[in-house]
Amino acid sequence: MALLEVDKVTRRFGGLVAVNNVSFAVPEGEILGIIGPNGAGKTTLFSVISGFIPPSDGEIRFAGESIVGVSPDRLVRRGLVRSFQVVQTFADMTTLDVVTTAALTRRPIREAIDYAAHVLQRVGMAGKELLTPATLSLQDKKLLELAKCLATDPRCILLDEVMAGLTIAETEAPMAIVRELNSQGVTIVMVEHVMPVIMRLATRIVVINFGEKIAEAAPEEIIKDQRVIDAYFGEHLDA
Amino acid sequence: MRQEFYKTLTSPVWLVILVLAVVLPPLLPSYYLHIVILALVYVALASAWNIVGGMAGQISLAHSLFIGTGAMLSTALLLKLGVNMWLGLVISAIISGVMGAMIAWIDFRFQLGHLSFVLITMAFAEMGTVIVEGWDFLGGASGLLLPQDKGDFLAFQFGGGIGAFWVMLVLAIVSILINVAILNAPLGYYLRTIRDNENAARAIGVNILRYKIAAMVISAMLSSVIGTAYVRYLTFADPYLLVSPIIIIEVVLFATVGGLGRAYGPAFGALLLVPLGEILRGKLGGTLPGLHYFIYGVVVIAVILMSPRGLLPLFEKWFSRMRPKAATSK
Ligand SMILES: Nc1ncnc2c1ncn2[C@@H]1O[C@H](COP(=O)(O)OP(=O)(O)OP(=O)(O)O)[C@@H](O)[C@H]1O
Ligand SMILES: [Mg+2]
Repeated sequence: MALLEVDKVTRRFGGLVAVNNVSFAVPEGEILGIIGPNGAGKTTLFSVISGFIPPSDGEIRFAGESIVGVSPDRLVRRGLVRSFQVVQTFADMTTLDVVTTAALTRRPIREAIDYAAHVLQRVGMAGKELLTPATLSLQDKKLLELAKCLATDPRCILLDEVMAGLTIAETEAPMAIVRELNSQGVTIVMVEHVMPVIMRLATRIVVINFGEKIAEAAPEEIIKDQRVIDAYFGEHLDA
Repeated sequence: MRQEFYKTLTSPVWLVILVLAVVLPPLLPSYYLHIVILALVYVALASAWNIVGGMAGQISLAHSLFIGTGAMLSTALLLKLGVNMWLGLVISAIISGVMGAMIAWIDFRFQLGHLSFVLITMAFAEMGTVIVEGWDFLGGASGLLLPQDKGDFLAFQFGGGIGAFWVMLVLAIVSILINVAILNAPLGYYLRTIRDNENAARAIGVNILRYKIAAMVISAMLSSVIGTAYVRYLTFADPYLLVSPIIIIEVVLFATVGGLGRAYGPAFGALLLVPLGEILRGKLGGTLPGLHYFIYGVVVIAVILMSPRGLLPLFEKWFSRMRPKAATSK
């Protein structure tokens, strides 16, 4: 049985169908990549899975149970956590405070503070515990998104473009973290525009275009798929 | 962080303040004692309000409803039904807590933004005024007069001046300590995260409704208890003072000037501004009516422009500059 099952999920915004009848399943321990052009509906799909917006139609199961209508915070407690494509800011808290809040999901306060420091160190942010997130570099803001997710001790992480805007060299650190997490048994679903990253990390890739799933295959097959090339790579090559 | 909590309790600054607070007041002339008591009332109120307004970042104007319930209802229960004021205090606090929970629920259910929250809570406060003024049980527009304070502790009497001082000192300290405790507990982390970014809070497992209700209930009950103690000191339960929008605007002002969201910020603001306001009024109110308001306003505006996050952060910065090694507390 797959850990996460997305079954014919549709999400409309008025007349716009942002996600259209999308299905896929993620077995425990996999790294699934999701790609698609801008506006394809990837972030909307994540928002629906993580409980932030309800699906217009369809069914989502996590660890065998339906999670449609379950609030985001309860999903986090069950082990399903998301990151945000738009890095989140906190006006009057330190990075340690923010990650501590995440760690409180499963730990008492004193342990949570220690664990938060440990997680920050693990993502390579040691020494930045007392900075305000707004003052961080883009790379560190992205790492903080990762750290928040990690601190909740998830079974499955939905990563929305955590490498976007980073140089190839800067993606090394988050890539190593994703690999390490995965080797510890955490299931990962990641949306990513940076092709070299997703090709190297994902074991399988789902391609979305105009809200619909148009392909699902191993990375080496995906780059050969004509529909994918037309929908996605074509556009990027032109640009 | 728990160690920090106890370190705070035993820090020399606290001890000095405590010793001064115990030794000084009995020696004060009654006019100054009154100012000290008033300052303590507002230290307690501003600190109680801080749990919602500072930590959770929700500018609630409904708190005059809780203060008013604590004051008017406990008084009415005693005068009209003969209910012991200690029991009245408990009943009022529970009713305030329930009203607070309702307001927090409405805020969550209808996803009120910051401005709508301010307006809705203002409407609640206004409703409170109307109900008190229109309902004879609560004294109507003319208010209620408590029996003379003979110092009978079991009847919630503390013997006026000095007794009231002790009660308010305890309430102010309890209110501040509750702030310290919350800030060092999970609730403090949850509230600050909700304040800074509600969506991000949900995404890392924070149950928004539960903790907004928790903050509002604690804050409302505390405000109600302070209201009961305050009316006992005043003896006259005046709806125009105790259920008025003015009292809550003062509380918001003191908390903001002192430093929102910090354990000692609101207390600091009240300790500074209450005596300043009273002394200005005492010195200038007779000769040039209105001038004291003007000076007071200029001081408040200057503080807010100089340090938008309040005076306490400003002092902390100066302090850490003078002693670079000393770590500043939050
Ligand atoms: N809350 C909303 N209300 C209305 N329309 C929305 C909303 N959220 C997203 N959309 C629309 O849904 C479509 C899909 O958007 P979405 O953000 O999911 O795309 P995406 O694949 O994540 O794009 P990108 O690669 O740029 O991040 C877009 O046309 C977008 O304008
Ligand atoms: Mg997106």
